[in-house]
Amino acid sequence: MKTTVKLLLGELKRLIRYKILPVSLVTALLWFALFLFLSREESFFIAPLLIYVDSTIMVILLVGAFNHLERQDGTISTMMVLPVSIGSILTAKAAASMMLALSSMVVTAAALYFIHNLVFDYAALFLFILLTGVSHGAIGFFLALNTRNFSSMLGLLMAYIVVFTLPTILFTFGILDARYDKLLMISPSHSAETLIRSAVTGMYNAGIILAACAWLLGLTFVLYRFAIYPKFKRCGVRG
Amino acid sequence: MSTAFSVEDLHFTYPSSKTETIKGISFTVQEGEIFGLLGPSGAGKSTTQKILIKLLENYSGRILYFGKDIHSLGSSFYEEIGVGFEMPVHFTKMTAAENLNFFSNFYQNKADVQGLMERVGLWEYRDIRVGEYSKGMKVRLNFVRAMLNRPRVLFLDEVTNGLDPKNARIIKDMIVEYRSQGGTVFLTTHLMNDVEQLCNRVAFCVDGRLHEISTPRELKMKYGKREIKVEYREKENTRSAVFPMASIGENEAFLNLLKSKEIETIHSGETSMEDIFITVTGVGVK
Ligand SMILES: Nc1ncnc2c1ncn2[C@@H]1O[C@H](COP(=O)(O)OP(=O)(O)OP(=O)(O)O)[C@@H](O)[C@H]1O
Ligand SMILES: [Mg+2]
Repeated sequence: MKTTVKLLLGELKRLIRYKILPVSLVTALLWFALFLFLSREESFFIAPLLIYVDSTIMVILLVGAFNHLERQDGTISTMMVLPVSIGSILTAKAAASMMLALSSMVVTAAALYFIHNLVFDYAALFLFILLTGVSHGAIGFFLALNTRNFSSMLGLLMAYIVVFTLPTILFTFGILDARYDKLLMISPSHSAETLIRSAVTGMYNAGIILAACAWLLGLTFVLYRFAIYPKFKRCGVRG
Repeated sequence: MSTAFSVEDLHFTYPSSKTETIKGISFTVQEGEIFGLLGPSGAGKSTTQKILIKLLENYSGRILYFGKDIHSLGSSFYEEIGVGFEMPVHFTKMTAAENLNFFSNFYQNKADVQGLMERVGLWEYRDIRVGEYSKGMKVRLNFVRAMLNRPRVLFLDEVTNGLDPKNARIIKDMIVEYRSQGGTVFLTTHLMNDVEQLCNRVAFCVDGRLHEISTPRELKMKYGKREIKVEYREKENTRSAVFPMASIGENEAFLNLLKSKEIETIHSGETSMEDIFITVTGVGVK
Protein backbone atom coordinates (compact mmCIF):
# COMPACT_ATOMS: atom_id res chain seq x y z
CA MET A 1 0.00 0.00 0.00
CA LYS A 2 2.75 2.43 0.97
CA THR A 3 4.60 1.43 -2.17
CA THR A 4 1.56 2.07 -4.32
CA VAL A 5 1.17 5.54 -2.82
CA LYS A 6 4.82 6.30 -3.58
CA LEU A 7 4.33 5.05 -7.11
CA LEU A 8 1.18 7.15 -7.53
CA LEU A 9 2.93 10.30 -6.28
CA GLY A 10 5.68 9.62 -8.80
CA GLU A 11 3.11 9.13 -11.56
CA LEU A 12 1.37 12.40 -10.71
CA LYS A 13 4.63 14.33 -10.61
CA ARG A 14 5.53 12.94 -14.02
CA LEU A 15 2.08 13.69 -15.40
CA ILE A 16 2.89 17.30 -14.62
CA ARG A 17 6.49 17.23 -15.87
CA TYR A 18 5.60 15.52 -19.11
CA LYS A 19 2.91 18.17 -19.61
CA ILE A 20 0.13 15.60 -19.62
CA LEU A 21 -1.88 17.10 -16.78
CA PRO A 22 -1.33 20.70 -17.98
CA VAL A 23 -2.64 19.77 -21.44
CA SER A 24 -5.68 18.20 -19.87
CA LEU A 25 -6.31 21.34 -17.82
CA VAL A 26 -5.86 23.60 -20.84
CA THR A 27 -8.74 21.90 -22.63
CA ALA A 28 -10.82 22.29 -19.49
CA LEU A 29 -9.94 25.98 -19.51
CA LEU A 30 -11.10 26.14 -23.10
CA TRP A 31 -14.52 25.02 -21.93
CA PHE A 32 -14.28 27.67 -19.25
CA ALA A 33 -13.98 30.32 -22.00
CA LEU A 34 -16.79 28.70 -23.93
CA PHE A 35 -19.19 28.94 -21.00
CA LEU A 36 -18.61 32.69 -20.85
CA PHE A 37 -20.25 33.00 -24.25
CA LEU A 38 -23.06 30.53 -23.70
CA SER A 39 -26.27 31.11 -21.83
CA ARG A 40 -27.05 29.22 -18.65
CA GLU A 41 -29.37 26.83 -20.50
CA GLU A 42 -26.94 26.22 -23.33
CA SER A 43 -24.14 25.58 -20.85
CA PHE A 44 -26.28 23.19 -18.90
CA PHE A 45 -27.11 21.33 -22.10
CA ILE A 46 -23.55 21.03 -23.33
CA ALA A 47 -21.83 20.47 -19.96
CA PRO A 48 -22.21 16.66 -19.86
CA LEU A 49 -20.83 16.44 -23.38
CA LEU A 50 -17.73 18.48 -22.54
CA ILE A 51 -17.06 16.62 -19.33
CA TYR A 52 -17.59 13.47 -21.34
CA VAL A 53 -15.01 14.43 -23.99
CA ASP A 54 -12.50 15.34 -21.29
CA SER A 55 -12.88 12.15 -19.35
CA THR A 56 -13.03 9.77 -22.31
CA ILE A 57 -11.17 10.79 -25.48
CA MET A 58 -8.77 13.06 -23.65
CA VAL A 59 -7.96 10.43 -21.05
CA ILE A 60 -7.36 7.78 -23.72
CA LEU A 61 -5.16 10.16 -25.66
CA LEU A 62 -3.14 11.37 -22.69
CA VAL A 63 -2.66 8.00 -21.04
CA GLY A 64 -1.57 6.56 -24.39
CA ALA A 65 0.83 9.42 -25.01
CA PHE A 66 2.26 9.03 -21.52
CA ASN A 67 2.88 5.35 -22.05
CA HIS A 68 4.67 5.97 -25.32
CA LEU A 69 6.82 8.65 -23.69
CA GLU A 70 7.76 6.19 -20.97
CA ARG A 71 8.71 3.60 -23.53
CA GLN A 72 10.83 6.15 -25.38
CA ASP A 73 12.66 6.96 -22.17
CA GLY A 74 13.20 3.26 -21.48
CA THR A 75 12.12 3.71 -17.91
CA ILE A 76 9.85 0.70 -17.73
CA SER A 77 12.80 -1.70 -17.56
CA THR A 78 14.25 0.17 -14.64
CA MET A 79 10.87 0.20 -12.88
CA MET A 80 10.78 -3.57 -13.37
CA VAL A 81 13.94 -4.05 -11.35
CA LEU A 82 12.55 -2.19 -8.36
CA PRO A 83 11.33 -4.33 -5.47
CA VAL A 84 7.70 -3.59 -6.32
CA SER A 85 5.13 -5.79 -7.99
CA ILE A 86 3.72 -5.09 -11.43
CA GLY A 87 0.33 -5.08 -9.74
CA SER A 88 1.27 -2.02 -7.66
CA ILE A 89 2.72 -0.24 -10.67
CA LEU A 90 -0.49 -0.80 -12.61
CA THR A 91 -2.65 0.16 -9.64
CA ALA A 92 -0.79 3.45 -9.39
CA LYS A 93 -1.28 4.02 -13.10
CA ALA A 94 -4.99 3.28 -12.85
CA ALA A 95 -5.31 5.72 -9.97
CA ALA A 96 -3.38 8.35 -11.93
CA SER A 97 -5.82 8.08 -14.83
CA MET A 98 -8.67 8.71 -12.36
CA MET A 99 -6.88 11.84 -11.16
CA LEU A 100 -6.46 12.98 -14.72
CA ALA A 101 -10.18 12.75 -15.45
CA LEU A 102 -11.04 14.21 -12.07
CA SER A 103 -8.87 17.29 -12.37
CA SER A 104 -10.38 18.42 -15.65
CA MET A 105 -13.88 17.71 -14.34
CA VAL A 106 -13.20 19.89 -11.31
CA VAL A 107 -12.17 22.79 -13.55
CA THR A 108 -15.24 22.39 -15.75
CA ALA A 109 -17.61 22.06 -12.80
CA ALA A 110 -16.04 25.09 -11.13
CA ALA A 111 -16.46 27.10 -14.33
CA LEU A 112 -20.12 26.20 -14.51
CA TYR A 113 -20.60 27.08 -10.88
CA PHE A 114 -18.85 30.44 -10.98
CA ILE A 115 -20.13 31.56 -14.37
CA HIS A 116 -23.68 30.25 -14.37
CA ASN A 117 -24.19 29.19 -10.79
CA LEU A 118 -24.94 25.65 -11.98
CA VAL A 119 -24.75 23.02 -9.25
CA PHE A 120 -24.73 19.26 -9.85
CA ASP A 121 -24.88 16.12 -7.81
CA TYR A 122 -21.15 16.32 -7.10
CA ALA A 123 -20.92 13.09 -5.14
CA ALA A 124 -22.37 11.09 -8.00
CA LEU A 125 -20.37 13.01 -10.58
CA PHE A 126 -17.18 12.37 -8.61
CA LEU A 127 -17.85 8.66 -8.50
CA PHE A 128 -18.83 8.44 -12.16
CA ILE A 129 -15.76 10.41 -13.26
CA LEU A 130 -13.50 8.05 -11.35
CA LEU A 131 -15.10 5.16 -13.18
CA THR A 132 -14.92 6.88 -16.53
CA GLY A 133 -11.29 7.90 -15.97
CA VAL A 134 -10.09 4.48 -14.90
CA SER A 135 -11.89 2.61 -17.68
CA HIS A 136 -10.80 4.98 -20.41
CA GLY A 137 -7.30 5.08 -18.97
CA ALA A 138 -7.31 1.31 -19.39
CA ILE A 139 -8.45 1.71 -23.00
CA GLY A 140 -5.67 4.23 -23.66
CA PHE A 141 -3.14 1.93 -22.02
CA PHE A 142 -4.41 -0.98 -24.08
CA LEU A 143 -4.17 0.97 -27.34
CA ALA A 144 -0.66 2.17 -26.48
CA LEU A 145 0.60 -1.32 -25.68
CA ASN A 146 -0.66 -2.57 -29.00
CA THR A 147 1.00 0.07 -31.12
CA ARG A 148 4.63 0.72 -31.97
CA ASN A 149 4.57 4.47 -31.62
CA PHE A 150 2.36 7.37 -30.75
CA SER A 151 1.24 8.16 -34.29
CA SER A 152 0.01 4.66 -34.94
CA MET A 153 -1.84 4.92 -31.65
CA LEU A 154 -3.50 8.10 -32.88
CA GLY A 155 -4.76 6.09 -35.85
CA LEU A 156 -6.39 3.57 -33.54
CA LEU A 157 -7.82 6.36 -31.44
CA MET A 158 -9.43 7.90 -34.52
CA ALA A 159 -11.06 4.57 -35.27
CA TYR A 160 -12.22 4.35 -31.67
CA ILE A 161 -13.73 7.82 -31.84
CA VAL A 162 -15.63 7.09 -35.05
CA VAL A 163 -17.03 3.85 -33.71
CA PHE A 164 -17.58 4.60 -30.04
CA THR A 165 -17.65 8.35 -29.47
CA LEU A 166 -19.25 10.05 -32.45
CA PRO A 167 -22.55 8.17 -32.18
CA THR A 168 -22.91 9.50 -28.64
CA ILE A 169 -22.37 13.07 -29.79
CA LEU A 170 -24.84 12.64 -32.66
CA PHE A 171 -27.23 11.17 -30.18
CA THR A 172 -26.88 14.13 -27.81
CA PHE A 173 -27.76 16.54 -30.59
CA GLY A 174 -30.76 14.45 -31.53
CA ILE A 175 -29.32 13.40 -34.89
CA LEU A 176 -29.35 9.78 -33.82
CA ASP A 177 -32.72 8.42 -32.73
CA ALA A 178 -33.38 8.05 -29.00
CA ARG A 179 -34.30 4.40 -29.29
CA TYR A 180 -30.62 3.58 -29.90
CA ASP A 181 -29.71 4.81 -26.44
CA LYS A 182 -29.61 1.39 -24.81
CA LEU A 183 -27.84 -0.22 -27.74
CA LEU A 184 -25.20 2.50 -27.72
CA MET A 185 -24.32 1.59 -24.16
CA ILE A 186 -22.20 -1.20 -25.58
CA SER A 187 -19.75 1.61 -26.19
CA PRO A 188 -17.89 2.24 -22.94
CA SER A 189 -17.82 5.91 -23.80
CA HIS A 190 -21.58 6.03 -24.22
CA SER A 191 -22.04 4.32 -20.89
CA ALA A 192 -19.76 6.92 -19.38
CA GLU A 193 -21.75 9.71 -20.97
CA THR A 194 -24.98 8.24 -19.63
CA LEU A 195 -23.53 8.31 -16.13
CA ILE A 196 -22.22 11.85 -16.46
CA ARG A 197 -25.50 13.10 -17.93
CA SER A 198 -27.41 11.58 -15.02
CA ALA A 199 -25.21 13.26 -12.46
CA VAL A 200 -25.47 16.62 -14.24
CA THR A 201 -29.22 16.51 -14.80
CA GLY A 202 -30.03 14.70 -11.59
CA MET A 203 -32.23 12.23 -13.48
CA TYR A 204 -31.31 8.68 -12.63
CA ASN A 205 -32.55 5.40 -13.99
CA ALA A 206 -31.28 2.93 -11.42
CA GLY A 207 -31.13 -0.01 -13.80
CA ILE A 208 -29.20 1.89 -16.44
CA ILE A 209 -26.82 3.40 -13.91
CA LEU A 210 -26.06 0.00 -12.46
CA ALA A 211 -25.56 -1.55 -15.86
CA ALA A 212 -23.23 1.26 -16.95
CA CYS A 213 -21.19 1.06 -13.75
CA ALA A 214 -20.93 -2.71 -13.96
CA TRP A 215 -19.89 -2.55 -17.60
CA LEU A 216 -17.17 0.05 -17.01
CA LEU A 217 -15.84 -1.74 -13.93
CA GLY A 218 -15.86 -5.09 -15.67
CA LEU A 219 -14.14 -3.68 -18.73
CA THR A 220 -11.45 -2.05 -16.60
CA PHE A 221 -10.82 -5.28 -14.77
CA VAL A 222 -10.69 -7.39 -17.92
CA LEU A 223 -8.39 -4.97 -19.73
CA TYR A 224 -5.96 -4.67 -16.83
CA ARG A 225 -5.99 -8.32 -15.94
CA PHE A 226 -5.91 -9.94 -19.35
CA ALA A 227 -4.60 -7.37 -21.80
CA ILE A 228 -2.38 -4.93 -19.93
CA TYR A 229 -0.82 -6.98 -17.15
CA PRO A 230 0.61 -9.69 -19.43
CA LYS A 231 1.87 -7.23 -22.00
CA PHE A 232 3.19 -4.36 -19.91
CA LYS A 233 6.46 -5.98 -18.96
CA ARG A 234 7.23 -7.37 -22.39
CA CYS A 235 6.54 -4.02 -24.04
CA GLY A 236 8.69 -2.16 -21.55
CA VAL A 237 11.63 -4.53 -21.74
CA ARG A 238 11.73 -4.38 -25.50
CA GLY A 239 12.31 -0.67 -25.13
CA MET B 1 32.27 -18.79 -1.08
CA SER B 2 28.85 -19.73 -2.31
CA THR B 3 27.54 -19.66 -5.82
CA ALA B 4 25.60 -16.50 -6.62
CA PHE B 5 24.20 -17.72 -9.91
CA SER B 6 24.21 -21.12 -11.42
CA VAL B 7 22.92 -21.41 -14.97
CA GLU B 8 22.31 -24.76 -16.58
CA ASP B 9 21.56 -25.36 -20.23
CA LEU B 10 19.85 -22.05 -20.82
CA HIS B 11 17.89 -21.65 -24.05
CA PHE B 12 15.89 -18.64 -25.05
CA THR B 13 13.94 -17.52 -28.10
CA TYR B 14 12.42 -14.05 -28.41
CA PRO B 15 8.65 -14.30 -29.04
CA SER B 16 9.08 -12.30 -32.24
CA SER B 17 11.99 -14.38 -33.48
CA LYS B 18 12.10 -17.74 -35.26
CA THR B 19 15.55 -18.80 -34.18
CA GLU B 20 17.02 -19.27 -30.73
CA THR B 21 19.01 -16.34 -29.40
CA ILE B 22 20.53 -18.28 -26.51
CA LYS B 23 21.47 -21.78 -27.58
CA GLY B 24 22.18 -23.73 -24.44
CA ILE B 25 24.65 -22.06 -22.14
CA SER B 26 25.84 -23.07 -18.68
CA PHE B 27 28.01 -21.20 -16.23
CA THR B 28 28.25 -20.16 -12.62
CA VAL B 29 28.96 -16.83 -11.00
CA GLN B 30 30.73 -17.23 -7.67
CA GLU B 31 30.02 -14.88 -4.81
CA GLY B 32 32.71 -12.22 -4.60
CA GLU B 33 33.96 -12.46 -8.17
CA ILE B 34 33.69 -10.29 -11.24
CA PHE B 35 32.37 -12.50 -13.98
CA GLY B 36 32.56 -11.17 -17.51
CA LEU B 37 30.61 -12.15 -20.57
CA LEU B 38 32.67 -11.12 -23.57
CA GLY B 39 31.43 -11.23 -27.10
CA PRO B 40 30.68 -9.37 -30.30
CA SER B 41 27.55 -7.36 -30.93
CA GLY B 42 24.45 -9.52 -31.18
CA ALA B 43 26.01 -12.46 -29.33
CA GLY B 44 23.25 -12.51 -26.74
CA LYS B 45 25.01 -10.86 -23.81
CA SER B 46 22.25 -8.41 -22.94
CA THR B 47 19.68 -11.11 -23.48
CA THR B 48 21.47 -13.34 -20.98
CA GLN B 49 21.59 -10.51 -18.45
CA LYS B 50 17.89 -9.79 -18.92
CA ILE B 51 17.06 -13.44 -18.29
CA LEU B 52 19.13 -13.55 -15.11
CA ILE B 53 17.38 -10.46 -13.75
CA LYS B 54 13.98 -11.94 -14.60
CA LEU B 55 13.02 -9.41 -17.23
CA LEU B 56 12.70 -12.05 -19.90
CA GLU B 57 10.64 -15.10 -19.14
CA ASN B 58 9.86 -18.35 -20.92
CA TYR B 59 13.42 -19.55 -21.09
CA SER B 60 14.27 -23.18 -20.74
CA GLY B 61 16.98 -24.51 -18.47
CA ARG B 62 17.64 -23.86 -14.82
CA ILE B 63 18.80 -20.70 -13.10
CA LEU B 64 19.58 -20.70 -9.40
CA TYR B 65 20.27 -17.61 -7.33
CA PHE B 66 22.12 -18.64 -4.17
CA GLY B 67 20.58 -22.06 -4.58
CA LYS B 68 17.02 -20.92 -5.19
CA ASP B 69 15.28 -21.18 -8.52
CA ILE B 70 14.72 -17.63 -9.76
CA HIS B 71 11.13 -18.53 -10.64
CA SER B 72 10.42 -18.82 -6.94
CA LEU B 73 11.81 -15.38 -6.06
CA GLY B 74 9.44 -12.51 -5.44
CA SER B 75 10.08 -8.83 -5.88
CA SER B 76 12.42 -8.91 -2.87
CA PHE B 77 14.99 -10.33 -5.34
CA TYR B 78 15.32 -6.75 -6.54
CA GLU B 79 16.22 -5.57 -3.05
CA GLU B 80 19.41 -7.55 -3.47
CA ILE B 81 20.49 -6.96 -7.03
CA GLY B 82 21.53 -3.78 -8.80
CA VAL B 83 21.06 -3.48 -12.52
CA GLY B 84 22.99 -1.25 -14.90
CA PHE B 85 21.32 -1.18 -18.26
CA GLU B 86 22.93 -0.72 -21.64
CA MET B 87 20.37 1.86 -22.76
CA PRO B 88 19.38 5.08 -20.98
CA VAL B 89 16.66 4.29 -18.43
CA HIS B 90 15.86 7.60 -16.80
CA PHE B 91 12.93 9.97 -16.92
CA THR B 92 14.31 12.55 -19.33
CA LYS B 93 12.04 15.34 -18.12
CA MET B 94 13.16 14.92 -14.52
CA THR B 95 16.50 15.90 -13.06
CA ALA B 96 19.09 13.29 -12.16
CA ALA B 97 18.48 13.89 -8.47
CA GLU B 98 14.72 13.49 -8.87
CA ASN B 99 15.26 10.26 -10.76
CA LEU B 100 17.61 8.81 -8.17
CA ASN B 101 15.46 9.89 -5.24
CA PHE B 102 12.43 8.32 -6.81
CA PHE B 103 14.13 4.95 -7.33
CA SER B 104 16.02 5.02 -4.06
CA ASN B 105 12.76 5.51 -2.19
CA PHE B 106 11.70 1.93 -2.90
CA TYR B 107 14.75 0.27 -1.40
CA GLN B 108 15.35 -0.68 2.20
CA ASN B 109 19.09 -0.45 1.71
CA LYS B 110 20.11 2.97 0.55
CA ALA B 111 23.50 3.94 -0.81
CA ASP B 112 25.07 7.34 -0.28
CA VAL B 113 23.80 9.01 -3.44
CA GLN B 114 25.89 12.13 -3.00
CA GLY B 115 29.05 10.08 -2.57
CA LEU B 116 28.36 8.05 -5.70
CA MET B 117 27.40 11.08 -7.77
CA GLU B 118 30.50 12.97 -6.66
CA ARG B 119 32.78 10.12 -7.63
CA VAL B 120 31.37 9.78 -11.12
CA GLY B 121 31.48 13.56 -11.50
CA LEU B 122 27.75 14.16 -11.75
CA TRP B 123 26.97 15.73 -8.41
CA GLU B 124 27.21 19.27 -9.74
CA TYR B 125 24.87 18.32 -12.58
CA ARG B 126 22.28 16.68 -10.35
CA ASP B 127 19.67 19.36 -10.90
CA ILE B 128 19.83 19.19 -14.67
CA ARG B 129 17.19 17.25 -16.55
CA VAL B 130 18.48 13.90 -17.73
CA GLY B 131 17.25 14.70 -21.24
CA GLU B 132 20.00 17.29 -21.40
CA TYR B 133 22.74 14.89 -20.29
CA SER B 134 25.40 13.77 -22.76
CA LYS B 135 25.70 10.12 -23.68
CA GLY B 136 28.58 9.54 -21.27
CA MET B 137 26.74 11.28 -18.45
CA LYS B 138 23.76 8.99 -18.98
CA VAL B 139 26.05 5.96 -18.85
CA ARG B 140 27.51 7.16 -15.55
CA LEU B 141 24.05 7.86 -14.19
CA ASN B 142 23.01 4.33 -15.12
CA PHE B 143 25.91 3.06 -13.05
CA VAL B 144 24.84 5.12 -10.05
CA ARG B 145 21.30 3.85 -10.51
CA ALA B 146 22.60 0.28 -10.34
CA MET B 147 24.41 0.99 -7.07
CA LEU B 148 21.47 2.72 -5.35
CA ASN B 149 20.52 -0.20 -3.10
CA ARG B 150 24.05 -1.28 -2.18
CA PRO B 151 23.37 -4.51 -4.05
CA ARG B 152 24.67 -7.92 -3.19
CA VAL B 153 25.01 -8.77 -6.89
CA LEU B 154 25.64 -6.10 -9.47
CA PHE B 155 24.72 -6.50 -13.14
CA LEU B 156 26.46 -4.22 -15.60
CA ASP B 157 25.70 -4.22 -19.30
CA GLU B 158 28.46 -2.48 -21.28
CA VAL B 159 29.18 -0.23 -18.34
CA THR B 160 32.09 1.62 -19.90
CA ASN B 161 30.67 1.91 -23.40
CA GLY B 162 30.81 5.50 -24.57
CA LEU B 163 32.98 6.73 -21.70
CA ASP B 164 36.23 8.63 -22.08
CA PRO B 165 39.29 6.88 -20.59
CA LYS B 166 39.26 8.98 -17.42
CA ASN B 167 35.64 8.26 -16.60
CA ALA B 168 36.00 4.63 -17.63
CA ARG B 169 38.87 4.40 -15.14
CA ILE B 170 36.75 5.89 -12.35
CA ILE B 171 33.92 3.44 -12.95
CA LYS B 172 36.32 0.50 -13.11
CA ASP B 173 37.94 1.56 -9.85
CA MET B 174 34.51 1.69 -8.26
CA ILE B 175 33.68 -1.78 -9.54
CA VAL B 176 36.91 -3.22 -8.15
CA GLU B 177 36.27 -1.46 -4.85
CA TYR B 178 32.75 -2.83 -4.76
CA ARG B 179 34.08 -6.33 -5.24
CA SER B 180 36.72 -5.92 -2.59
CA GLN B 181 33.92 -5.12 -0.15
CA GLY B 182 32.36 -8.48 -0.92
CA GLY B 183 30.22 -7.60 -3.92
CA THR B 184 29.59 -9.92 -6.83
CA VAL B 185 29.56 -8.61 -10.39
CA PHE B 186 28.15 -9.96 -13.62
CA LEU B 187 29.24 -7.79 -16.49
CA THR B 188 28.92 -7.93 -20.23
CA THR B 189 31.29 -6.22 -22.58
CA HIS B 190 32.90 -6.29 -25.98
CA LEU B 191 35.97 -4.46 -24.70
CA MET B 192 39.14 -6.45 -24.01
CA ASN B 193 40.38 -3.80 -21.65
CA ASP B 194 37.41 -4.26 -19.36
CA VAL B 195 38.04 -7.97 -19.17
CA GLU B 196 41.76 -7.71 -18.55
CA GLN B 197 41.40 -5.00 -15.94
CA LEU B 198 38.32 -6.25 -14.12
CA CYS B 199 37.31 -9.84 -14.58
CA ASN B 200 38.25 -12.72 -12.34
CA ARG B 201 36.69 -15.04 -14.84
CA VAL B 202 35.47 -14.53 -18.35
CA ALA B 203 33.20 -16.44 -20.71
CA PHE B 204 33.48 -16.03 -24.45
CA CYS B 205 30.05 -15.63 -25.96
CA VAL B 206 29.41 -15.92 -29.68
CA ASP B 207 26.08 -16.40 -31.38
CA GLY B 208 24.25 -17.57 -28.26
CA ARG B 209 26.87 -20.07 -27.18
CA LEU B 210 29.72 -19.97 -24.67
CA HIS B 211 33.09 -21.13 -25.85
CA GLU B 212 35.53 -20.96 -23.00
CA ILE B 213 35.09 -20.02 -19.36
CA SER B 214 38.28 -19.32 -17.54
CA THR B 215 40.42 -16.72 -15.85
CA PRO B 216 42.14 -14.24 -18.13
CA ARG B 217 45.46 -15.52 -16.80
CA GLU B 218 44.75 -19.15 -17.60
CA LEU B 219 43.52 -18.24 -21.04
CA LYS B 220 46.81 -16.55 -21.68
CA MET B 221 48.74 -19.52 -20.39
CA LYS B 222 46.72 -21.86 -22.53
CA TYR B 223 46.47 -19.97 -25.78
CA GLY B 224 49.10 -17.31 -25.52
CA LYS B 225 52.43 -17.70 -27.22
CA ARG B 226 54.93 -16.42 -24.71
CA GLU B 227 57.96 -15.00 -26.38
CA ILE B 228 60.78 -12.63 -25.78
CA LYS B 229 61.67 -10.14 -28.41
CA VAL B 230 65.09 -8.52 -28.25
CA GLU B 231 66.13 -5.49 -30.27
CA TYR B 232 69.86 -4.84 -30.50
CA ARG B 233 72.35 -2.75 -32.47
CA GLU B 234 74.59 -4.28 -35.02
CA LYS B 235 76.71 -2.19 -37.38
CA GLU B 236 74.67 0.98 -36.96
CA ASN B 237 71.43 -0.97 -37.63
CA THR B 238 68.70 -2.11 -35.29
CA ARG B 239 68.03 -5.81 -35.53
CA SER B 240 65.68 -8.02 -33.63
CA ALA B 241 65.42 -11.62 -32.56
CA VAL B 242 62.61 -13.64 -30.99
CA PHE B 243 63.04 -16.42 -28.43
CA PRO B 244 60.54 -18.71 -26.74
CA MET B 245 59.99 -17.84 -23.09
CA ALA B 246 60.24 -21.46 -21.98
CA SER B 247 63.61 -22.22 -20.33
CA ILE B 248 64.95 -18.94 -21.54
CA GLY B 249 67.78 -19.12 -18.98
CA GLU B 250 69.33 -22.04 -20.83
CA ASN B 251 68.92 -20.61 -24.28
CA GLU B 252 72.50 -20.12 -25.45
CA ALA B 253 71.65 -17.96 -28.42
CA PHE B 254 69.65 -15.64 -26.21
CA LEU B 255 72.34 -15.46 -23.53
CA ASN B 256 75.07 -14.85 -26.10
CA LEU B 257 73.08 -12.06 -27.58
CA LEU B 258 72.76 -10.40 -24.19
CA LYS B 259 76.50 -10.70 -23.58
CA SER B 260 77.79 -9.67 -26.96
CA LYS B 261 75.43 -7.04 -28.32
CA GLU B 262 74.30 -3.61 -27.39
CA ILE B 263 70.67 -4.25 -26.38
CA GLU B 264 68.06 -1.61 -27.16
CA THR B 265 64.80 -3.15 -25.93
CA ILE B 266 63.52 -6.41 -24.49
CA HIS B 267 59.81 -7.19 -24.59
CA SER B 268 57.97 -10.21 -23.32
CA GLY B 269 55.26 -10.65 -25.89
CA GLU B 270 52.01 -12.09 -24.63
CA THR B 271 49.19 -12.85 -26.96
CA SER B 272 46.46 -10.31 -26.40
CA MET B 273 42.98 -11.30 -25.22
CA GLU B 274 41.75 -10.20 -28.58
CA ASP B 275 43.96 -12.74 -30.35
CA ILE B 276 42.89 -15.42 -27.91
CA PHE B 277 39.25 -14.61 -28.51
CA ILE B 278 39.75 -15.03 -32.24
CA THR B 279 41.68 -18.27 -31.73
CA VAL B 280 38.99 -19.74 -29.49
CA THR B 281 35.86 -18.61 -31.26
CA GLY B 282 37.03 -18.14 -34.80
CA VAL B 283 35.51 -14.66 -34.96
CA GLY B 284 36.57 -11.18 -33.95
CA VAL B 285 35.02 -9.36 -31.04
CA LYS B 286 34.13 -6.14 -32.78
N1 LIG C 1 13.33 -7.79 -28.31
C1 LIG C 1 13.93 -8.57 -29.21
N2 LIG C 1 13.20 -9.28 -30.09
C2 LIG C 1 13.79 -10.09 -31.00
N3 LIG C 1 15.12 -10.25 -31.12
C3 LIG C 1 15.91 -9.57 -30.28
C4 LIG C 1 15.36 -8.69 -29.29
N4 LIG C 1 16.38 -8.16 -28.60
C5 LIG C 1 17.51 -8.67 -29.15
N5 LIG C 1 17.24 -9.52 -30.14
C6 LIG C 1 18.22 -10.28 -30.95
O1 LIG C 1 18.92 -11.16 -30.11
C7 LIG C 1 20.28 -11.20 -30.45
C8 LIG C 1 21.13 -10.92 -29.23
O2 LIG C 1 20.90 -9.58 -28.80
P1 LIG C 1 21.60 -8.97 -27.52
O3 LIG C 1 21.07 -7.61 -27.32
O4 LIG C 1 21.49 -9.94 -26.40
O5 LIG C 1 23.12 -8.90 -28.01
P2 LIG C 1 24.40 -8.33 -27.26
O6 LIG C 1 25.36 -9.44 -27.16
O7 LIG C 1 24.02 -7.67 -25.99
O8 LIG C 1 24.93 -7.25 -28.31
P3 LIG C 1 25.53 -5.78 -28.09
O9 LIG C 1 27.00 -5.93 -27.83
O10 LIG C 1 25.28 -5.12 -29.40
O11 LIG C 1 24.79 -5.13 -26.97
C9 LIG C 1 20.47 -10.22 -31.59
O12 LIG C 1 20.53 -10.95 -32.79
C10 LIG C 1 19.25 -9.36 -31.55
O13 LIG C 1 18.89 -8.97 -32.85
MG1 LIG D 1 24.06 -5.76 -25.34
